Amino acid sequence: MNPDLTAALAAHLLALADDELILGHRDSEWCGHAPILEEDIAFANIALDEIGHGVVWYSLLADLVGEDRETYPNRLVYHRDPADFRCAQIVELSKGDWAFSMLRQYLFDSYEKLHLDWLVNSEYHPVAEAAAKLRPEEIYHLRHTRAWVRRLGLGTEESNQRMQAAIDELWPHALQLFGPLPGDALLVDTCFFPDPAELLEAWQAVVVPYLEDAHLRVPPDEPSGAASRTQHTAHLDLLLRGLQEIARLYPDAGW
Amino acid sequence: MYGATVEPLEDSRADEAKLAAFEARIARGEKIEPGDWMPDEYRRQLIRMISQHAHSEIVGMLPEGAFIARAPSLRRKLILLAKVQDEAGHGQYLYHAAETLGATREAMIEALLSGKAKYSSIFNYPTLSWADMGAIGWLVDGAAILNQSMLAKCSYGPYSRAMIRICAEENFHKRQGQDIVITLATGTPEQKAMMQNSLNRWWPPTLMMFGPHDSDSPNSGVLTRWGIKTKTNDELRQMFINQMVPDLLALGLTIPDPDLRYDEASGNWLVGKIDWDEFWRVVKGDGPCNAERMEARRAAHADGRWVREAMAAYADKYAQDGR
Amino acid sequence: MTDTQWPRFIVFQQEHESAAHQYAGSVHAPDAEMALLNARDVFVRRPACVSLWVVPSAVVFTKTAEEIAANALTGETLLAETSETQTYIVFQKAAHKGAFSYSGKVSAVTPSQALAIAFETFAQRSALAWRVFPEQAVTRSTPEDIEALFQPAAGKAFRDQAFYHTVAAMQQIRKQLQENTADES
Repeated sequence: MNPDLTAALAAHLLALADDELILGHRDSEWCGHAPILEEDIAFANIALDEIGHGVVWYSLLADLVGEDRETYPNRLVYHRDPADFRCAQIVELSKGDWAFSMLRQYLFDSYEKLHLDWLVNSEYHPVAEAAAKLRPEEIYHLRHTRAWVRRLGLGTEESNQRMQAAIDELWPHALQLFGPLPGDALLVDTCFFPDPAELLEAWQAVVVPYLEDAHLRVPPDEPSGAASRTQHTAHLDLLLRGLQEIARLYPDAGW
Repeated sequence: MYGATVEPLEDSRADEAKLAAFEARIARGEKIEPGDWMPDEYRRQLIRMISQHAHSEIVGMLPEGAFIARAPSLRRKLILLAKVQDEAGHGQYLYHAAETLGATREAMIEALLSGKAKYSSIFNYPTLSWADMGAIGWLVDGAAILNQSMLAKCSYGPYSRAMIRICAEENFHKRQGQDIVITLATGTPEQKAMMQNSLNRWWPPTLMMFGPHDSDSPNSGVLTRWGIKTKTNDELRQMFINQMVPDLLALGLTIPDPDLRYDEASGNWLVGKIDWDEFWRVVKGDGPCNAERMEARRAAHADGRWVREAMAAYADKYAQDGR
Repeated sequence: MTDTQWPRFIVFQQEHESAAHQYAGSVHAPDAEMALLNARDVFVRRPACVSLWVVPSAVVFTKTAEEIAANALTGETLLAETSETQTYIVFQKAAHKGAFSYSGKVSAVTPSQALAIAFETFAQRSALAWRVFPEQAVTRSTPEDIEALFQPAAGKAFRDQAFYHTVAAMQQIRKQLQENTADES
């Protein structure tokens, strides 16, 4: 593989992994604080799956750049500074209320499901294999979160208002998920990854009608100020400070 | 361990024959199912024991839950999250068992959040370091497993079946805790010191989990006769001590008990005096974390109210026959 | 609206194609779809499962052998009478330490009539307890659901105690200790 392609692939895998890991971390914050016991259990499962997906993408990255599968992911997660993370801002935002977290998860799940649908046919076989494994879990997530979004949209006036507030805040950030990364043109040409613009169109075709059916208004498309994944919010600083605290205190220890 | 204090049985004169038949069923090893005749006292004792057990699982999620965000490796993060998720699941199975006796979740939750219901006092201790995840998994869950294995043989069908499911899953909790302790005890000097500090704090309260000495336990007789309790507090406690001490010593850790000694004659490791004043203080709500954890549970419940209402409203409007 | 923990749904689980469904427990859920999804997370964190059924607990009729001995079945009716026949599903527990397993189906007008008919046909009179409910009240997972709902449970080996090599680790440590003590003496 030529160096440019490797670099583009590495950048893309890192972004995917960071998205999943940070989102899974946010999801895990609900465990013990969910609105009902069954959701403490159910949403923890989604958190476990997303963190697991992060591990899968970090592992593919390790393989690609010749690093150890066991140690490299931990180095990336526990010893990188916030500025070096490549997640989209939507996953950094703090968990908010239940409406916020359910909507964020729904927007992400519907994106990830469409993405994986395409990736099972990627010309880069490790990605195709990984996508095939992840896809069943994502099908389940989407079934769960779309059920919640519809019910909260249509339930009571209060739940509808909270969902509307959540969409108003999250929609611009969601669009960043489809922003092209540097080197993406090469990945699209080689059929490693889909054209982000096509993915966005497919995603909107599914998500917009679904939200409107749930009596939720979708804001007009205005991508948030930071299109680049090199720019992060203060939320990420705080999140990583907690996440990395113990590992950084004892840098030469194994766990 | 879970509400082991018992009030004396009152004479149920009208149901003497039924009571004799009931006790004969238990003596034959039969399971009591919902719908079978049972003394009011049996029903009351079980609801209290089972719901306290459920509450313990739920409150127990919080001390460990605090470390999910800070787990120092990806593997440990996944494992701890799965463990805490299991604890929610165990609470769920147990609330179900209590519901088969006529208790409602709404009432049980209300009792917990108002401070009326008790839960295992071990969950009122703070978690101060990552090593505490090892101590809780290996010691606290290890102690719970001894108690739970006994309860899996309980005469009440739904409780017994819930406990069998829980026991199958709990072994993973203990093993992952032991894995953490081994890793730290054989790790860097700082990790070993962290583990020793953790053991110093968790060993005494874990011993107290088994409840007061047999000589101080009022009337466990009826619990034994009704097939709810088949081993005494001291018996279980001694089993635990004998299991744990050799392994902890082999790892180069010291047990925080200057009076600990091995008795050749009985084959038992004997421990020094237990500080029961501390136990009763914590049980009565004076432990370091009682208030904080109850507040967290109350907040989650209050914050979730609009959610529960919205989902119920949707079902009323759009779902038919509960679909 | 008063606060609610939502209604209960009884959950039945089938572990393998060749096995009968068994009573697993219950979930609280606002409706049947959420009940099915919740049941998956409450009961299928670990293998194995190929099918889940959920039924509103309000329509599950329970009876024990002891109850029938005290009050014969034929004298009973449950809930509002309907003159329509429908299909009832019967679960029974055959042994004290056993589980409630799927037993069969009958057509009847009430659950107690369904049980009476079941006794004459497939249910064992010697069984200890039964659960009976209308088939139309059941919400089921489909075979297409197996891949997304149940197979992922096999992907988290760390939930199994066998994942941890603590026994081997302690053996190694004790062996090392013995060797060290031998060296010192």
